[in-house]
Amino acid sequence: MEIKILGGGCARCERLERLALEAAAEAGVEATFTKVKEMDAIMGYDVMSTPALVIDEEVKSSGRLPRKEEIAEWIRAAQGT
Amino acid sequence: MNALEYVTILLQTGLSSLTAYLAAHVLLCLLPAFFIAGALSALVPKEAITKYLGRDAPKWISYPASALGGFVLAVCSCTIMPLFASIHRKGAGLGPAITFLFVGPAVNILAISFTGVQIGMDIALARIVLSIVFGIGIGLLMAWFFRQDDEAHNAATNGGGAFAREDKVPGRTWVFFALLLGVLIAGTLQVGVLTRSYATFTLPGSWAGSFQAWLDSVVPPNPALGIEGVSVHGVLLIGLLILIAVTAWLGLNKVDEGFNGWTYVALGLVTLTLVVASFKVVAIAGSPSIGSRQGLSVGVTGKLIAEITLIAAVWWMAARRFEAYDIQEWLWEMWRFVKQIIPLLVVGVFLAGMARALIPATWIETLAGRNTVWANLAGVLFGVFMYFPTLVEVPIAQTFLSLGMHRGPLLAYLLADPELSVQSILITNSVIGRKKTAVYVVLVTIFSTLAGLIFGWFIR
Repeated sequence: MEIKILGGGCARCERLERLALEAAAEAGVEATFTKVKEMDAIMGYDVMSTPALVIDEEVKSSGRLPRKEEIAEWIRAAQGT
Repeated sequence: MNALEYVTILLQTGLSSLTAYLAAHVLLCLLPAFFIAGALSALVPKEAITKYLGRDAPKWISYPASALGGFVLAVCSCTIMPLFASIHRKGAGLGPAITFLFVGPAVNILAISFTGVQIGMDIALARIVLSIVFGIGIGLLMAWFFRQDDEAHNAATNGGGAFAREDKVPGRTWVFFALLLGVLIAGTLQVGVLTRSYATFTLPGSWAGSFQAWLDSVVPPNPALGIEGVSVHGVLLIGLLILIAVTAWLGLNKVDEGFNGWTYVALGLVTLTLVVASFKVVAIAGSPSIGSRQGLSVGVTGKLIAEITLIAAVWWMAARRFEAYDIQEWLWEMWRFVKQIIPLLVVGVFLAGMARALIPATWIETLAGRNTVWANLAGVLFGVFMYFPTLVEVPIAQTFLSLGMHRGPLLAYLLADPELSVQSILITNSVIGRKKTAVYVVLVTIFSTLAGLIFGWFIR
């Protein structure tokens, strides 16, 4: 599974990454984490604001920090399909 | 004057600005403003605003929404650029994006309330109104200049699904904002109902008068330079602020992982400080020989009653109407702003205070003492080439004001400084290209100069 964090390295983006790492660990899912910092690459996704979370190329959240349980839920769902 | 005396004077003016700023300005204005900024960032889903910025939104909605969006969304500069880029590329186009870029940094709640308290409500209001009007004006002009580009660009990029997402701000969040805004307004508005003392009592003690005399000797007030001096009340409040800083460090740094005992201590101290700051406290240095009373006269003001009521309501809502997770997010965002901004502000205020003793008033008076085109242009250019971190432009402006700058050029400077800095020009350049950036910079320069000129002419 591929998890991407979109955002230019602000405090919220780092926190989102930490949350996603923890959520993946809790769900027991192997995932690769990528940080996307370039504005052009970020604009390639359908997001308005950062930080955004992308799981297997699908935008799950943007402009807010989802809860850890929410992220774990998305990870499990993506794993199931 | 020898060198040592000169250094002493410099340090004294720096220190007096800093203490006056901490005791008088931070408390009732910046403390609530930080809480509001945190709440805007944590509790308002961005989609609530951005749904009005989609490609199909009519002009009369998208431009005002961009201006308003600046107010709500742009409390953190790291959110401005992605939003600007996406409004431009996928949403309403170049015009509204420019409006957003222009209005965003100028009308954030921290900057406005700080300007109002330190420099004057007239400038703060002018800053809001003129930046919204001119932001929309510049956006429309840019859209018109580059109308062909925009059409080509529209055809080339895919439609923005991101803008269609719906999200609502729940009713309780609005009420919460109203309460927080109430705390800010009640603390800073200078009207009789709020500032009048409804009851006064005196704490006896001869120390108060002599302590005040000592404070006046350490930090002498100097009305000519706009230096306020420090009161006994101020010292108490600065002490409380230091306690808040320590307990907040322990209690709020990890608030995203849950509350701890220090969180409550820190929040309790914030409440206490706001309450203490609302009393009217004056040291009376009566002479004991004729038996007049000495001590601290303490007045129960209308402000105090309003603040206690509003803060109690904020506590109640936070405890009963919101989930713990929302409150954690709110406090985390708030603390992040504080950590980001306060250190810069403390250094900036100190240096701006020192500058008051360094720069001869005649310079400022010759350059910008009157409301002329050149004076306003000088204000704008100074704003462009000197880059000050967020909010530091306000103490700088106050220094200029006390040195004799006219309020017109002062407004021109205050409008241009956050909008146009070498740094923001470079970033804008990377999003919309060199030609459009150049036109934007020229338009902002013209409009800011014009704004200062019009404002200065009105208040003549």
